[in-house]
Amino acid sequence: MTEPQQPPEPRAARTAKSSRARTAPGSDHHPRSAAERSADHAAIDRLADELLPALVAKLSATGLGEIEVGEGSWTVRVRRPADGAGTHNRRSTDRAARSQPGHAGHGHAPGGFEGHRSARDARSAPGPNSTNGSSPGSADLDATGSRSATGSAGVAGTGAPSPGSGNRSGDDGADRFRAIATSPAVGIFQPRNEAKAGTRVRSGDRIGAVDMLGVPQEVVAPADGIVGASLVEAGQAVEYGQELVIIELAGRPLERTEA
Amino acid sequence: MFRKILIANRGEIALRVLRACRTLGVEAVVAYSEADRESLPVQLADEAICIGPADARRSYLSVPAVISAAIVTGCEAIHPGYGFLSEDDGFAEVVRAHDLMFIGPPANVLERFASKESTRRLLGSLGLPTIPGSNGILRDDAHALEEGERVGYPLLIKPAAGGGGKGMRMVRTPRELEASLNVCRSEARSAFGDDSLYLERWLDETRHVEVQVAIDRYGRGIHLGERDCSVQRRHQKILEEGPTPALSEAARTELCTRAIRAIVSAGYENVGTLEFLVDRDGNFYFIEINSRIQVEHPVTEMLTGVDLVATQIRIAAGEPLGFSQSDIVSRGHAIEFRINAEDPEHDFRPSAGVIERYLAPGGPGVRMDSHLFAGYEVPPFYDSLLGKLIVWGPSREAAIERSRAALAELLIEGIVTNVSIHQALLSSEAFLEGRMTTNLLDRVGSSAFLAAAARA
Repeated sequence: MTEPQQPPEPRAARTAKSSRARTAPGSDHHPRSAAERSADHAAIDRLADELLPALVAKLSATGLGEIEVGEGSWTVRVRRPADGAGTHNRRSTDRAARSQPGHAGHGHAPGGFEGHRSARDARSAPGPNSTNGSSPGSADLDATGSRSATGSAGVAGTGAPSPGSGNRSGDDGADRFRAIATSPAVGIFQPRNEAKAGTRVRSGDRIGAVDMLGVPQEVVAPADGIVGASLVEAGQAVEYGQELVIIELAGRPLERTEA
Repeated sequence: MFRKILIANRGEIALRVLRACRTLGVEAVVAYSEADRESLPVQLADEAICIGPADARRSYLSVPAVISAAIVTGCEAIHPGYGFLSEDDGFAEVVRAHDLMFIGPPANVLERFASKESTRRLLGSLGLPTIPGSNGILRDDAHALEEGERVGYPLLIKPAAGGGGKGMRMVRTPRELEASLNVCRSEARSAFGDDSLYLERWLDETRHVEVQVAIDRYGRGIHLGERDCSVQRRHQKILEEGPTPALSEAARTELCTRAIRAIVSAGYENVGTLEFLVDRDGNFYFIEINSRIQVEHPVTEMLTGVDLVATQIRIAAGEPLGFSQSDIVSRGHAIEFRINAEDPEHDFRPSAGVIERYLAPGGPGVRMDSHLFAGYEVPPFYDSLLGKLIVWGPSREAAIERSRAALAELLIEGIVTNVSIHQALLSSEAFLEGRMTTNLLDRVGSSAFLAAAARA
């Protein structure tokens, strides 16, 4: 059920990429001390591993449009694309979400296509990147990039995974940054209080349960990461395999823009 | 009447129940496994809910999953179709315990008829002839040999639970009996979870004739005539027809009248089928009861015009039958061909894959009950039934003529089907003369049978 997860990039690769970005703007002729460099690396690592996934999770959970956090010389801004996560809350028991006879193998929810389209529009809209690079050392994360990819892969969020859908390829890259916990049973979903949005979890951690005839069936995190948006309400009926909770994965590389 | 029911099955029978719901104005939720997400009943359902993975033990056979699905979708009753949980009295009991209705006999009735061996004795005591056999369940090998000696060889070893030919063996000598007992026990245990066996005298060259009955909650019952299911391969029915060519009209009436009388006295409820073996001299022997809708029910529907699935649902909802025996008139002749994803050229091995083209036959008296459509991928996890072609004609000859035309029209491309065995049957003398017996195909050998038909 769960999308095949690509493992997060190895730490070394990430650090290398980030540090290249960090040293890019005119710092060549001011070589920094080893201590400065390692402090920067540590900060970048921490941002990539902890702050960013937490921010993305917050963003998807709160419904805010944009979050910006400043710390020292760093600023991190996470922005939601125009269409938001509105397509998430649909069960595959919803008739419209299923394909019609003769269209088997293209079981995409129409809403999934909508999401895809608007996300793409948002991406091509002028200037998502134009606000970048306000200050040296600002890591302006264009959340649109990741969200738009989710809009299509994520059909991701629409409950009915579509085997044989040809629409996924090309967007798979985005799935590296999120995993989705699915329902192990048909029943009533109850999230776990200790696993609210923003909570750090490890693969296999219990983040909720689906009550099947009074017997709770554990919903577990499919990967290490931060609990993100819930795709269904507490107490809602869910089917087997239904997508329940987004887990934002650690490991999104920081893209630093040239000032 | 129920407002909403859960259909806990797949394939053509899920579709058949869905259609019955439509005519009754009942909302239907189709419970499906991940392997059936793109299937026709799921697409046509008012609502559909995924209950588990492809593995039937975790979906269609999972009691908690099915009942939870019914509860969360707000259903009042569960239709189990055939196979899977349809004759599981434990399931029916759990359904009842959750204040849902089981569409079939109530749990206590299912339980009463769960053991074939005790059903045989019960109905024997109510006036139905039964095949001589062991006195009760075989306790051990010594008891089996003792009983075998008393009944007389050849014998048929039969499991007390379940059906479909699993755990059944014909033995000719005490030595064969002794050698087969363990195999039959383990087959029965894995198929039905119960390894109780009993013995029946083996009757050579028998026909399989079954009587359809419907009994409401108030003990009012009727029969809807009989079907002949003598065309079998390894105890699996492949073609059914009605009325049986083996019995005179008077004999058929006597069989059906005695069957309904006995089963009403035995306290049965809802739709069911009493199976009999008929020997060369026209003697009939009760063998077992199927307390569910059967694959071949459309034969009776074509003959009588009664919707058996709707009748099942109405009875479960507590409605009175609404018609009496004199309202049931059987007209003409009907034949059902089971269209299976099996390769007759290669020992009927199952095939799976994508249906590239599909055209159902048509014309007067032609009915196709199938969940196929072009582009549908037949999953490899379940039984091989792709659908049933049912053909009615004013006479047996007319039905056979229409069947030839309909089989020629039927187009299924992409996977191998058993249509050629049906075409061979329609050109075989034994079938045309109404002389098929249950072991004929196996005795001649299916491939020899096909070859003979190709020469003819």
